[in-house]
Amino acid sequence: MNSVDSLTGFLNRFGCFHTAMRLAAEATGNRQTFAVIWLDLDRFKQINESFGHLIGDEVIENLATRFRPCVIGRAEISRVGGDEFVLLAPGFNREQAFQFAVELAGIVQEPLNIGSLTLRPTASIGVAIHEPNEDPLTLLERADHAMFAAKSKGGNNIVCSGDEPIPGRLGISLAREELSIESAMHEALETGGFSLHYQPIIRANGEIEAVEALMRCKLNGENISPMKFIPVAEKTGVIIRLGEFSLLQGAMHARALQDAGHETKVAINVSRAQLVSPAFTQALHAALLCSNVRPGLIELELTESLFMDISDTVQQNLKEIIATGVGLSIDDFGTGYSCLANLKDIPASKLKLDRAFVTVLPEDRRALSVVKAVTQLGHELGMTIVAEGCENQQQIDVLLEAGVDAIQGFFYAKPMPDSELLIWLKARSNKI
Amino acid sequence: MNLHAPTPTAVDQMVEKAVIDLGIPPCPAILNRFMAEARKDEPDYQRLASIICSDVSLSASLVKTANSPYFGARQRVRSVNDALVILGLNIASRAVAGIILRKSFPTVPNMERFWDASSRFARVSGWLAQRFGSLELAPEDAYTYGLFRDCGIPVLLKRLPSYESVLHSANNETGLDFTQIEDAVLPTNHAIVGCVLAQSWWLPEEICLAIRHHHDRSVLAATTSPPPLLSRKLVAVTQLAEHLVQQQLGISRTQEWGKLGASCLNLLDIDESQMETLALEAAPVIAADE
Repeated sequence: MNSVDSLTGFLNRFGCFHTAMRLAAEATGNRQTFAVIWLDLDRFKQINESFGHLIGDEVIENLATRFRPCVIGRAEISRVGGDEFVLLAPGFNREQAFQFAVELAGIVQEPLNIGSLTLRPTASIGVAIHEPNEDPLTLLERADHAMFAAKSKGGNNIVCSGDEPIPGRLGISLAREELSIESAMHEALETGGFSLHYQPIIRANGEIEAVEALMRCKLNGENISPMKFIPVAEKTGVIIRLGEFSLLQGAMHARALQDAGHETKVAINVSRAQLVSPAFTQALHAALLCSNVRPGLIELELTESLFMDISDTVQQNLKEIIATGVGLSIDDFGTGYSCLANLKDIPASKLKLDRAFVTVLPEDRRALSVVKAVTQLGHELGMTIVAEGCENQQQIDVLLEAGVDAIQGFFYAKPMPDSELLIWLKARSNKI
Repeated sequence: MNLHAPTPTAVDQMVEKAVIDLGIPPCPAILNRFMAEARKDEPDYQRLASIICSDVSLSASLVKTANSPYFGARQRVRSVNDALVILGLNIASRAVAGIILRKSFPTVPNMERFWDASSRFARVSGWLAQRFGSLELAPEDAYTYGLFRDCGIPVLLKRLPSYESVLHSANNETGLDFTQIEDAVLPTNHAIVGCVLAQSWWLPEEICLAIRHHHDRSVLAATTSPPPLLSRKLVAVTQLAEHLVQQQLGISRTQEWGKLGASCLNLLDIDESQMETLALEAAPVIAADE
């Protein structure tokens, strides 16, 4: 099998593994140690995307030429992926390996002229030292994990395996998944991969109370579940951009529905990260101005995580939202952080019961008692009560009997793209 | 029962009409389709060309853009296909976005001059990014940012009758930040409106953040995040472009260079004497028509 990389003349992945096997056997026999240095260029994908693969290859060739004199006689070098190099350095201990990695990082950072542009690439480097009798594959994996730890520090970093708490295998694969979701999200943000789907909320008398706008992400034909991308978006701050995107798109859609003869409220989810920012209402006004929608047709759904701490900024934002004429509703009520005191403090006109109370109906009488009590309390405060997650007629029957005003769930309609929503609304208005 | 409920196609047309009436563009379907194809692993150029060709004026404008001296095509571009090949997909996508953006504000009065100025800033920004390779700014990003930077202004002009006078005071303000003048009397400002619009047009995060902060002196002077250095460089490059254009042509005078100029030159690592040489070099780029 060919063990040489055609672009650089270095070993390839296969050659790397075989050399590691040999070195591991030798090291165990000689009671010597050897180091694995795993180097991955930062943002190489960006270089490929901006300048094309030919330029990407040029960058790799260029780096290979620079690595060669520094590596000869000290280590076996291989290219194991598009922008990943692995060095196997016999006789190196941790300190020496780390110094070697610093040297390599310096080589990578030297300015690189591509056409009229000068690039200064950086690398994330992981270092691992062979332990007696360690299986070479495990060793390579440790170096790869350390490189990944360097990358998750923001890149341009060197991490030695064992130096810091590298998450266990599960942690690594989770972190890897998060990273890949994060990069997919960024790609989707620049390629039109995000869109809003709308799920109708139906009143007891069959009229439409509102439609809830729900974020969907599709990349290269594949759907990424909101259960996966929303938490990552919250962690990385991307949620603010997604939130502002929803504000404008949701408002535009409300306006489009209005123009098509449907005075339907659009409920838009707002994250904690948005509401704690003093600039939130400016973004809301921007969306209202751009769409020219009647503010009464917009409703903002506040997630329960907001209730962890209702700061002055949040209070001020809530006041200003009400002043614009936009409505407020409390989402997922009854679980997590929400408590009764919030009902008193938040000027919301709608309360959405968490699906946890709904899915156990009609059997769970205790859940039903809670639903009844909250509904009554909500009504006392002048609020509309919505139950989420209804999947069958029996649930709807008991909920309506308990006094709930409107129902949202698959039983009536799944979330659908804007074009389907128009057809759905039309079909429904024809029926009534 | 509503017998006259519009069909989905009719609804689309109504939405389109509403958008024209409003003069405010959500990201148009044609750009979405183009981007979706362009971002595939192996984009089909024939399909891309046919998407562009479905809009006659868009195809004409793209061919014209590819022929502009700024993009440096050696032979004359005659078809959309040629234009895509010459420009490359990244620049072509941004150019398409720019052309559609401009077409999307047809009903705002006096917009021609506004767009002429924006196009010029964009072109000079792209040239500066190319001229200073060490900035590590992609010329197409500088170009796109230059085009979109002030797209919040036509929205506010269209919506808020008082905006014209606010704009006038902000343009003449030598002390406070431009957006501080807007914030004092309006519920939002053109930088935020522009950023929210740019986000819905799928522009890269750095460009959106640059639009959002392009009048913030504190942000421009900062050495740490946020926003990213790339965003600050974009702000600096276009501010310099605007200054060079204003100096040479004496149009659309603002007070921004006085407030932001020093930070911009610092970010770009240029001193005053280099500026003079630069102004001479830039003269033909500034004078050129689209």
